[in-house]
Amino acid sequence: MYDHDLLIVGAGLAGLRCAVEAQKLGLKVAVITKVHPVRSHSNAAQGGINAPLTDRGDDWKGHALDTIKGSDYLADQDAVEIMSREAGEAVLELERMGVIFSRGDDGKLGTRRFGGQKVARTFFVGAITGSALLHVLYEQSLKLGLQVYEEWFVTSLIKHEGAVRGVVALDLKTGELESITAKSVVIAAGGAGRVFEPSTNALICTGDGLSLAWNNGAGLMDMEMIQYHPTTLARTGILLSEAARGEGAYLLNSEGDRFMKKYAPDYMELASRDVVSRSEQTEINEGRGIDGNVLLDLRHLGKEFIETRLGYLQEVSVEFLGIDMAEKPVPIRPGMHYIMGGVKTDVDGETGVPGLYAAGECANVSVHGANRLGANSLLDTVVFGRRSAEKASEYVKTVTNDIIPTEKYVKRDLELIKNIMDADGKYKVAEVRNKMATAMTKGIGVFRDQESMEYAKKIVDQTKIDYRDSIRIQNKGKVYNTDLLFALELGNMIDCAESIVHGALTRKESRGAHFRTDIPGRNDEEWLKHTLIYKSLEGEITVKTPDVTITDWEPIERVY
Amino acid sequence: MKYAFYPGCVARGGTPELLSSSMAVLKELNIEVEELTKAGCTGAGVLQEKNPLLGDTINVRTLAMAEEKKLNIMTLCSTCQGVLSQANYKVKKDPEYLKKINALIKDEGYNYKGTTEVKHLLWILVEDYGLGKLKTHLKKELSNLKFAPFYGCYMVRPSEALGFDEKPERQNYLEQVIESVGATAIDFPGKFSCCGFPVLFINQKNSLKMVSNQTGSAKDLGADAMVTPCPLCHLNLDGYQGKARSNNRGDKADLPIIHMPQMIALAMGLETKDIGLGRHIVSPKEVLNKI
Amino acid sequence: MKVSIDVKRFDPEKTNENNWVQNYKMDIHPSSTVLDALIHVREEIDGTLGLRCACRASICGSCGMRVNGKAKLVCKTRIEELAEEGETLLIEPMGNQPVIKDLIVDISAFFAKMTQITPFLQPDEFPKQGEFIASNDSMEKLLTEMNCIMCGLCVSECTILEVDDTFIGPAALAKASRFVYDPRDSQTTDRLNFLNDEQGGIWDCTRCMQCVDVCPKDVAPMDRIMDLRETAIEIGTKKTHGYDHTNSFEKSVVAHGRLDESRLALESAGIFNIPRLLDLIPVGLRALIKGKLPPLFPHKAEDNKKIKEIAKKIKEME
Repeated sequence: MYDHDLLIVGAGLAGLRCAVEAQKLGLKVAVITKVHPVRSHSNAAQGGINAPLTDRGDDWKGHALDTIKGSDYLADQDAVEIMSREAGEAVLELERMGVIFSRGDDGKLGTRRFGGQKVARTFFVGAITGSALLHVLYEQSLKLGLQVYEEWFVTSLIKHEGAVRGVVALDLKTGELESITAKSVVIAAGGAGRVFEPSTNALICTGDGLSLAWNNGAGLMDMEMIQYHPTTLARTGILLSEAARGEGAYLLNSEGDRFMKKYAPDYMELASRDVVSRSEQTEINEGRGIDGNVLLDLRHLGKEFIETRLGYLQEVSVEFLGIDMAEKPVPIRPGMHYIMGGVKTDVDGETGVPGLYAAGECANVSVHGANRLGANSLLDTVVFGRRSAEKASEYVKTVTNDIIPTEKYVKRDLELIKNIMDADGKYKVAEVRNKMATAMTKGIGVFRDQESMEYAKKIVDQTKIDYRDSIRIQNKGKVYNTDLLFALELGNMIDCAESIVHGALTRKESRGAHFRTDIPGRNDEEWLKHTLIYKSLEGEITVKTPDVTITDWEPIERVY
Repeated sequence: MKYAFYPGCVARGGTPELLSSSMAVLKELNIEVEELTKAGCTGAGVLQEKNPLLGDTINVRTLAMAEEKKLNIMTLCSTCQGVLSQANYKVKKDPEYLKKINALIKDEGYNYKGTTEVKHLLWILVEDYGLGKLKTHLKKELSNLKFAPFYGCYMVRPSEALGFDEKPERQNYLEQVIESVGATAIDFPGKFSCCGFPVLFINQKNSLKMVSNQTGSAKDLGADAMVTPCPLCHLNLDGYQGKARSNNRGDKADLPIIHMPQMIALAMGLETKDIGLGRHIVSPKEVLNKI
Repeated sequence: MKVSIDVKRFDPEKTNENNWVQNYKMDIHPSSTVLDALIHVREEIDGTLGLRCACRASICGSCGMRVNGKAKLVCKTRIEELAEEGETLLIEPMGNQPVIKDLIVDISAFFAKMTQITPFLQPDEFPKQGEFIASNDSMEKLLTEMNCIMCGLCVSECTILEVDDTFIGPAALAKASRFVYDPRDSQTTDRLNFLNDEQGGIWDCTRCMQCVDVCPKDVAPMDRIMDLRETAIEIGTKKTHGYDHTNSFEKSVVAHGRLDESRLALESAGIFNIPRLLDLIPVGLRALIKGKLPPLFPHKAEDNKKIKEIAKKIKEME
């Protein structure tokens, strides 16, 4: 007997959307999450969610084209078509669940402009859209009585006779390891920002889902595509939403110039994020920055506008830098923010490993290709979160009841934990992580080249050895042992770093966020392909390069 | 020094000893007050639950009365202080709202421009009069007395309306005055807590628990009495202490509650009948014995 | 900048001597927040320290705790604003919630209160196509409550939750207001009737303003509770002692310009509520003896009919 039909790892937007749908479809569902659902990093998304609404003359093809162009033609166009087509209904569903979207004068959903799009089709709630969506989905999960394993950390998947049939997890409150069986598992555990330093991501974004899937036969695709968000706050690296630029903010260099006119004369500040980040970095590198930052200027928007539509940004700017956005421009710079890469899935969340699905930031369908448009991530999570539930609900009907020998999986992980607890190396976990993360930012940054990427690889390889041989943890207790948790997370982060470095060294062109100063051009002839990386049980890495799916939009030069 | 005087409803009702002791202290310190006899009750936050506009209007009217006389307002009650300050803060922040209220009081000839300051006697003594000067009026020794300060919620929250951004020391004045009269101010963790008075008639069980917690813990810390600038707190902590302590701690009401002006009057050696300690439910006999 | 913090620790795995205050000293960036200091402790000094944190950007709600006795979101609490160089800060877990370990508290009761108030939209019927029509104003008004990140600071400092854990509490009541004022929700009356209930509902709040003071997102839960009281009265929910209290107060002020305390006491008890009235007798007697009984004929404000006129004008405006 299985504990559940469907077990979802991660309670962010993708995980909860999947859970709510699965519950409605009558599945025996549970969500397992290492933090309370409302603490998930989805709550940090600020700006909005894209959707083409046909009743106001928008066309899904417009959104699809913007998305594909934004992806620098690396997105699989059949997947983008689905996301664009289903976006409208996805947003309306959220509104009907109770999201307090902003409205136009006619009382219908209102929009704002966002990066990479000329049409204003981003629906929003102030500057807290992610939080607003997450809380409403949490409310729906309460309404449906969703079972949540709250503050449990998944240490491994249970793969039995080739199919994923559950997880082994650590209950953080008690320190006990337990197995939970399920006919299918959806990985929705988010991104891996902590592989870099600094990053806009929360401390919990440690690539757990990516690692779990990779270690069980799923492929990680386009991992070199790391998005550096153009506007992260100086010093703290906290995200300042693209919504600021969507509502009209300017980017200025030290000479007070709106420098984007040099790099993207048409879209200006609303070019795709990789273009804007590179532009900023160029200005900074060429001496037109201020202490490694450029300026985001909102003064002309007026205090009342800022405090209503961009309230959270003002709060962050005032609290963390002491700057009133209505009075002074804010120093910002590019910061690591999102991984377009992830677990390869088809349009229904299937990973190719029986019983294993993935959705959200940890997945790569691919709809974001080499660069994600702002406000497309929230869309991605709800569309593919829902679709994974639908697919999984069909799949579980085919799974005959089986007896899974869970003890051996639990035993295996008990060994793993014991080894960590007993380790007596010379490094603290944080030390090892910091070294690797700093090297990753240096080597796989906004600009990269062969030398920098090989440097990153060297450090990652050394980190693997240090992690295996030279760490020690101080906390030997059982209750909320975060020392142990960080060590387990570090293992996951190293997996992510390894795949990122491999992908980066594989792709011999520049496309979207992967910009090689030594090979600066885009090479559609040879590289209109994904990088797809597999890891065998023995740790051997194989790289494949499947073609990108093109439907209606032939790749052309990408100009903003 | 002259102030527009707003003693509040309870100073004439349930706690007449507050008014008598305050007037005696003011006379001694030569602080002149002119009572705003036309002013209405501040609403104490209770009126505002049902009719916030009426509450704000009555309070702005009071502020306008003082403004006309070019005087700042002196209050004797933490709650009056808080509610008047909140009304003041609200209309200063929202000119549209002030316009709306002024329209309601213009028949009487009032038009509030936002210049009145509202200060509790406690603040006046520290900020305007000066504690150094106050000390020159002291005649009795209170040095073997330990007092637990109890401010009253409306005197310490919300911080913006009470001017704490510019004057954060206002959260310490009561201790300063206690020390000025020679007594010791206990480091009392409950000094900013709630006495439970607002829910006395609504959920007496909770209200009494709060009275018991505050008076009990102050007593446990060695306080001889509790000093408060709020007569509403006084009513609850004094009037209901017996029942509260017996229901919750199984002990007796043994902590006298003293109005702040009474404490000063004691230190000044003023007339017993003016100080009005005889009106208290919990006997302050022990305290008097120590002076 | 030299920083010194005292952390209240608790180790549930020890049977005795399991709670103590531990001091940590460090030298960190001058603009550091209290969370920066705690993370530094966890990473560099003492890996046994337990605390919850995630986003570091005041949006996830994980890092609520008491700093120098006052509840704060430590990711946005700068050390230099609270302490001079070298001055020690005291850090303790949030209040009113059982401590599991060190600075980690049990938040299950907090979320259980949320469930009590039916925390999801309940529309009558869905629009045939497209979205519900609603004004931007009505959605923007809800933004204040939607900013709530469920950090628990209000619950930590709530004076009533300290003495009565049946009180629904500031966070859940504020969340309830978000549905009461959502034009798309059709259960407004039922919601208000539930919240109006004598036991643990909106009338149990003592208006101490702690929640307003500590909320890091300006949700001002107490103000939301006051909104609910006003609305509950407007729609005519069942009369409670709370209603009687504020109603009597208003009548008094309109009639006399001042408060008639005796009448207030009687009407709040409920003039037909014999047990409560009898309860007042000992207090009344004591007050009478001590000369503290409010006058039988309440004193009025001078020229008090002007106040009556203002009240009338306001009533006509509605």
